[in-house]
Amino acid sequence: MSEKIPLDLMVNGRVSELLVAPHTTLLSVLREQLALRGCKRGCNQGVCGACTVLLDGEPVRACLSLAANCENRDITTVEGLGNNGVPAAVQRAMIEANAVQCGFCTSGVLLSAKAFLDTNPSPSIDEVRAALSGNLCRCSGYKKIVDAVMLAASYGVDK
Amino acid sequence: MAQTFHQPASVDEAIAVLTEHGELARLLAGGATLVAMMNAGLLETSALISLSAIEELTEIRIAEDGSARIGAMRRHRQTAFESNLRDGQQVLSRAAAQIANVPVRNMGTLGGSISFADPAADYPPALVAADARIEIAGKSARRQVAAEEFFLGWYETALESGEMVTAAVVPEAPAGSVGVYEKLCRVSGDFAVASVALRLTANAGEIADLRIAIGACGGGPVRVPEAEKLLIGFELTTGRVEAAAECIVAELDPVDDVRASAAYRRLVVPRLLQKALNEAMDEASDQ
Repeated sequence: MSEKIPLDLMVNGRVSELLVAPHTTLLSVLREQLALRGCKRGCNQGVCGACTVLLDGEPVRACLSLAANCENRDITTVEGLGNNGVPAAVQRAMIEANAVQCGFCTSGVLLSAKAFLDTNPSPSIDEVRAALSGNLCRCSGYKKIVDAVMLAASYGVDK
Repeated sequence: MAQTFHQPASVDEAIAVLTEHGELARLLAGGATLVAMMNAGLLETSALISLSAIEELTEIRIAEDGSARIGAMRRHRQTAFESNLRDGQQVLSRAAAQIANVPVRNMGTLGGSISFADPAADYPPALVAADARIEIAGKSARRQVAAEEFFLGWYETALESGEMVTAAVVPEAPAGSVGVYEKLCRVSGDFAVASVALRLTANAGEIADLRIAIGACGGGPVRVPEAEKLLIGFELTTGRVEAAAECIVAELDPVDDVRASAAYRRLVVPRLLQKALNEAMDEASDQ
């Protein structure tokens, strides 16, 4: 039997007290213990990007992050984007640009795009493509996703 | 499935836990490889030892002799943007910038990558080209191994049981030298089909000093000093590059795999070498 580790995780500004096994990934905790199902399990190998979340503001793979290693970190999932029900600029732009097909990659794309625009508010198209190269869309709807991020950048500072 | 989770505060403590728990204890660096293997059910683990609380491993230190000691827990993203690497040392930052994608570069570490020693990974040839040494901690004193002697073959390193990588020490590069990393991959962020890492110093249009290492064409990075000698002391001409490339290709040991055939790898290495040398000479002449 694995030992259970008591853990305080801060997700979307709220701290939860949890018990996790040593090998439990952040992805499993988010989906199964915290019911935050915007974080998707795609490949579970760090390749597809559907589980991308922000750790202290930087995009990482939740499927490759062990929950026990994420204590005292600031975790943001797609449910934490926007303010009091008002969508963030990247979310509004995704809707405006019709950049959602099946939707499975969307939350990961949103978090990668959010972190990217925070550091580069006026990017070129090539910079957007490079920033999103770790998020696969198997509908292959990349054109509109890139358009949406450029559109979000055009909205200006989003608080 | 792991039974226990440990978060030691020092290298000594990590080694003690590693020794105590035996062969099935695993050191957890960034997780990009280890957790992926655990998720795939490929790895039996009794104890997980997270290295993220060991401050020493997260630092880069520049010594008085100009060498850079890059801690094993430095993330690829940090090394890609590292402003402390000078001249030819930058072959490391250029290789780091081409590993996978942003989220994986935010997680993956130098120590994790080289301990796993995937022959198609980007750091191994870059470390050999930079003439780096790998710092290793074990139960007794720390030791250093030249990068060329660290990578022994397919996923095999000079690490012994109960040891861990603590840093890569990159010596000061010759003044005015440049570091170039040329990588061919099928799509952005994939492992290399083949790669060429080099550190070059030019003097009045001639190559004064040169180290070349080839990636993804054998069990470890391939360096052929005889090929370097065909170029050092001369201007860069197509004939010289062809002769050096022929010398290198004879020493490669590539395999057929999902990314490319061995024959294709032998074909592209001379082209990658030409491209990398051209780029290096252009940059060297701009300085």
